[in-house]
Formats: sequence, structure tokens, C-alpha cells
Amino acid sequence: MSIIQVRDVTKVYLLGKTQVHALRGVSLTVDKGEFLSVAGPSGSGKTTLLNLIGCVDTPTTGLVEVGGLDTSKLTERALTDLRLHQIGFIFQSFNLVQVLSVFQNIEFPLLLQGGLTKAERAARVNGLLEATGIGEYGRHRPSELSGGQRQRVAVARALVTRPALVLADEPTANLDSQTGQNIIDLMRDMNRKDGTTFIFSTHDPKVMAHASAIIRIADGLVAVRELVGATA
Amino acid sequence: MLLVDLQVAARNLTRHTRRNLFLGAALASVTGLLVLLGALTAGIEGSMMESATTLMTGDVNVGGFFKVTSGSAAPLVSGYPKVLEATRAAVPELDYYTVRGRGWAKAVSDSASMDLVLGGVDIAHEPAVRRVLQPIGGTLDELARPNTMLLFQGQAERLKVSVGDVLTLSAPTERGVNNTVDVRVVVVVKNVGIMSAFSAFIQADSLRGLYGLSPEATGAIHLFLKDRGQSALVAARLREEFQRQGWRVMEPDPQPYYMKLFQTVPSEDWTGQKLDVTTWEDELGQFKQFIWGIKVFTGLLVFILMVVIVIGILNTLAIAIRERTREIGTLRAIGMQRRKVLWLFMLETALLGLAGCAAGALGASALAAGLNAAAIRVPEAVQLFLSQEHLTFQLRAADAVSDVLLLTLVTVVASLAPALRAARLKPITAMHHIG
Ligand SMILES: Nc1ncnc2c1ncn2[C@@H]1O[C@H](COP(=O)(O)OP(=O)(O)O)[C@@H](O)[C@H]1O
Ligand SMILES: [Mg+2]
Repeated sequence: MSIIQVRDVTKVYLLGKTQVHALRGVSLTVDKGEFLSVAGPSGSGKTTLLNLIGCVDTPTTGLVEVGGLDTSKLTERALTDLRLHQIGFIFQSFNLVQVLSVFQNIEFPLLLQGGLTKAERAARVNGLLEATGIGEYGRHRPSELSGGQRQRVAVARALVTRPALVLADEPTANLDSQTGQNIIDLMRDMNRKDGTTFIFSTHDPKVMAHASAIIRIADGLVAVRELVGATA
Repeated sequence: MLLVDLQVAARNLTRHTRRNLFLGAALASVTGLLVLLGALTAGIEGSMMESATTLMTGDVNVGGFFKVTSGSAAPLVSGYPKVLEATRAAVPELDYYTVRGRGWAKAVSDSASMDLVLGGVDIAHEPAVRRVLQPIGGTLDELARPNTMLLFQGQAERLKVSVGDVLTLSAPTERGVNNTVDVRVVVVVKNVGIMSAFSAFIQADSLRGLYGLSPEATGAIHLFLKDRGQSALVAARLREEFQRQGWRVMEPDPQPYYMKLFQTVPSEDWTGQKLDVTTWEDELGQFKQFIWGIKVFTGLLVFILMVVIVIGILNTLAIAIRERTREIGTLRAIGMQRRKVLWLFMLETALLGLAGCAAGALGASALAAGLNAAAIRVPEAVQLFLSQEHLTFQLRAADAVSDVLLLTLVTVVASLAPALRAARLKPITAMHHIG
């Protein structure tokens, strides 16, 4: 069953008076439980595609469906709810809340959702702190962490609500290969155990190798969709 | 969640210490000024009303006018004992009363002259006058003697007289001739506000002598009630009662009697006696207008300040929020609703506003208390005007609190526009915002 439907999507940015065609007619279907890699050179439109799927931006033309819902038909409120409850987003630049501690940053989406007790929230956050290898930094502020550590906080924040879909924009780009491997393993784990759908962009072949499928895009077009050997 | 919200708001405030200190200080100074002005106005109002009410009017007054011809008027109640009797029977709320002569004369000394509104008093039966007036020369008791007069300090200075000196009072009578009487100044009292500019007291029978009136005539009966709040009610009842008993009664007209004497009554087409029942609010109309004027002035000042402050706040907040547009974008992207974003910013400005304004109000209160304690002399020229000899602030906690709340509200409202703008951006646009 598909969780994402993208059909004939184009995205044109306006840079002053020049139009930048970031996506020129992309179509793809993502099934539930996929562990999908979006690969392509810098500037090919990976981030743009993820933003559209993650409902933080809107396409110029074309259709984006998330969980069977046409996102162009949803109100801003419904879209926000969709982002909060269905989607976890790991941004290329970590985008943490500077005035909150690491623990609080990770806990924040849970607070927005409401529903869990303090103890339940703490259990989840601590579990992710451990899993991402930053267990001892819970009380620190993001500004006290290295780039790699911040990236792990961003990952933990995206995973904490156990969303159906996780979008990760170059999640390992700022990490050393060991940490990158840990993060990929963590995501792979969630994918296997909970059936969480993952879409992550990367241009690292080692990372791509973990994917169940790879979408290669170039110049704002899907070049090819490859199946990788180890499919889930 | 609220705790986290508060924490986020508070931490955001401490992150931009300099800017927020500036904003807080601006708010504090405006609140402080507001509180100080309010307290000063209240102080003026307090002293002015105190003196004016006790000296010029009772809670309810039974006065009247006597017209020999339709073109003249005298502020008279003839045959007052009967009026008094009827009044006492009709007003069980009465605490006590005084009987006042009313007049108007030119006071002439050896070297100067001035017009005075005269009150004819029986000093033995004037507890309020004794309470409010502070002699600086002579004694009030002396005013019981025939042909004696009380002057306020400013008048004595203007007429260049002191206790023991003799003045000539010259008054137009009903028949159009000027009567005169010589009176001795037996007591000079401290000024008590604007009323001491133009009114003075003389012994009651001397006033009757000046106008050639019988002992049964007086100016007005001042009634002091147990509860001043009943004034309007009692006045209405008295009008009805007098009419029922055959007196002619004037329509209610909220003006002090001397305004009626000089402006309205002489042009009315009737002769003989009419009674005029007024309340203290009617008689003090001009004082109230004056205080209203002060309030309008301070209100305007405050309004201008507010506009300046709001513009300043808007600017500073706009900068602050622009700087945080990326953060807002992130929060929106991970699922924070717009109203929540707004709420966070409102919380932040509310905290800042509350802290700043409360600090300002506290500072102003301390300053006012200090100035009160220092008992700073008001310059002579302004003393009369402000009804105050020393600068007196009357602090009212409720007023200060409402000032703080009002300004906090203004701040919060001012922050809404920029916050709304940031919250409305597409999350990704906000996240890519530079600056
Ligand atoms: N906000 C933007 N305004 C203008 N051009 C943009 C914007 N975002 C991306 N682009 C352009 O769109 C194209 C695709 O960008 P992006 O999706 O970020 O590629 P990738 O993530 O694969 O590096 C690039 O040419 C980039 O310069
Ligand atoms: Mg990118």
C-alpha cells in the first residue's frame, strides 16, 4: 500500500527575476515500510522533493498525496497536524531550539502532541538519547554540542513521536562514518520493527547501500528507481 | 506544556538581554510616569474636593434667589427658619446643617481692592470650617464678633492687610445702590486651593447688615448627610416637598450659585422668592471641570507616550521576531500550530511587559512616597491652582495595578502583528529566512 503519491510535480523558485526549475515533473510512489534513498548530485532537487513530501512547502504544479490525502486540499491547520502526527523531519541544518536543552528539544514534539505522561515522555526521550549515543548530553544546550551531536538530537526529535513517515535530508552528511552508520542502523531498526517508512536523501554510496530502493534524480527529474538487493 | 512555554519565553527574554532591558526600561518609565501623574491628579483632586466641599457647599444645599425686579437677583432665602423646619422634617438622613449667608462684594483696603464671593458664617456652628481652615494669624473664634472678616493668605497679601486691619466692603443691593460696611480682619488662614482665590468669610450678621437684610434671611442652608451618596435623592425629595408646601422651586441646574446669580437668574422673567435645591456636585461643577481638564491633559500626555512606546515596541519586536523567523519555521515544520506560535510570542511579551511595567509602578510608588515625605513646597503661583501647598501624591494601589495591566496589554497587542506575520509564513520560507 502506498503512503506517498507524487504525480507530475514541478517546483519553480523565483530568484529575483530568474526562475529556478528545481523539479520538472517528478512522479513517484512510496509504499509503507520502504527504506528509500533519494540520491543525486548537489542541486538536483532532493531537498525540494523532501520538503514537498513533508508538507513544509507546496508544489508549483502537480499532486502530492500523503497517507492518501491530497495535501493541496488540506487547511494549514490540518497540514500542521499531519506534520506533527505522521511525519518526522530531519533537516539538513539541524534547526534545534537554542533556548531548550537537548532533552527538551527531543521532548518538544511529544509536548505538542500531548497525551503522554511525563514518565512516558522521559522514557521515550531517554531511549532515543541512548540509541543515538548522546545519553550524557540531555541537560546540555544545543550550542554546547558538536555538529554531529546536534544532528543526532535532530534525529532523535524526528523519531520521538514514532511517526509513520520519517524524512531525512542528508542525515549523515555532517557525521563521521561510525556515527553515520549508527544513525542509519537506528533508522533501519525502526523501519524493521515498527514498519516506519523512511525517505532519506544522500549522495553517499555507503549509505545508499542500506536502502531498500534508490530513487536517482538529476536536474529535477527522476532518472531511475533501482531496487537494492537486501529488500525488507 | 505551559511550564515549557513559560520556560521558553523566559529564556528567550534572557537571551537578548540588551534589547529586552531597553524595552523593559521604556515600559517601566512610561508606567512610572503614568502612576505618578495619576497619583498627582488624585492628590490634587483629593485636596481640592476636600476644601471645596467643606467650604463651599453642603452635600445638599437649600438656597434661592430673590428678585425685586425681573432684571435683578439676590442670592437669598427669606424667612429661612420655616424652610429649615420643613427641610429637617423631610430629611431624616440629615447629620448636621449650617446656615450660610451668600453675597458678593468689592473689598477695598488702603492700597488695593478685589472682588470677593462672600460667605456669611456663624462660626460657632461651622464644624467643617474649623476642621479645614488653618489660621496663620488671629483665631477663628474672633469671627463670632460683629463686623469681622476672614481672609485667605493670598487675599491678605493682595490687599496688603493683616490681622487687625480694617477693610471696606462695597456691595450692590437689590435697589441698585451700593451699600458699604467696614469690617476688621480677625483671622487669616492658609490657602486651600482654587476657591481661596475668590471667596472669603464674614460674620453672618455683618453680611445681613451689608445687604440690609432681616435676621430671617440667609443665603443657603447647607445640609450634611450621613451618607453623601444620598444627595441627589434627598435633593429631589426636597424640591417636591417645598413645592407641595407652596414654595416656588427652581428647575435643577448643575451650576454653582454664583454662576446663576451673575448669568442666568437676572435674565429670567419672574419676581419674588424662589428656592433652589442643589447638590455638592452641582455646586462644584467648575472644580470638576477643572479636574477633568487636568485629567484630559494627563490623559493626552499618556496617550502620546503610549503611541511613542507602541511604535518603539513594534520596531523592537519586529526585529526580535525577524531574528527568530528560522526558529519559528522549524517549530511550525515539526508541527506547531500558528496559534501556538502566537501564544509563545504573546507569553514572551506579556512576561516582559509585566516585569517592566511592575518595576515602573513600584519605582514610581517609591518615588511618590519619597516626594511626599520630603514635603516639597509648591511654588506660590501654582499652589492656588493645584490646591496644594506641598507636592502631594495620592497613591491608589488599584490604579497602579490597572496601569500596569493596561500597558502590558498594549505591549502584547503591539507584538501581535509581527508575530502573526512570522507565523503566517510557509514553514520552509521561514526556515530559510536570513537575518
Ligand atoms: N529557496 C530557493 N530559492 C531559489 N532557488 C532554490 C531554493 N531552494 C533551492 N533552490 C534551487 O533549486 C535547485 C534544487 O535545490 P535543492 O532541492 O536544494 O537540491 P539538493 O537538495 O539536491 O542539493 C537548486 O538549483 C537550488 O539552487
Ligand atoms: Mg539539499
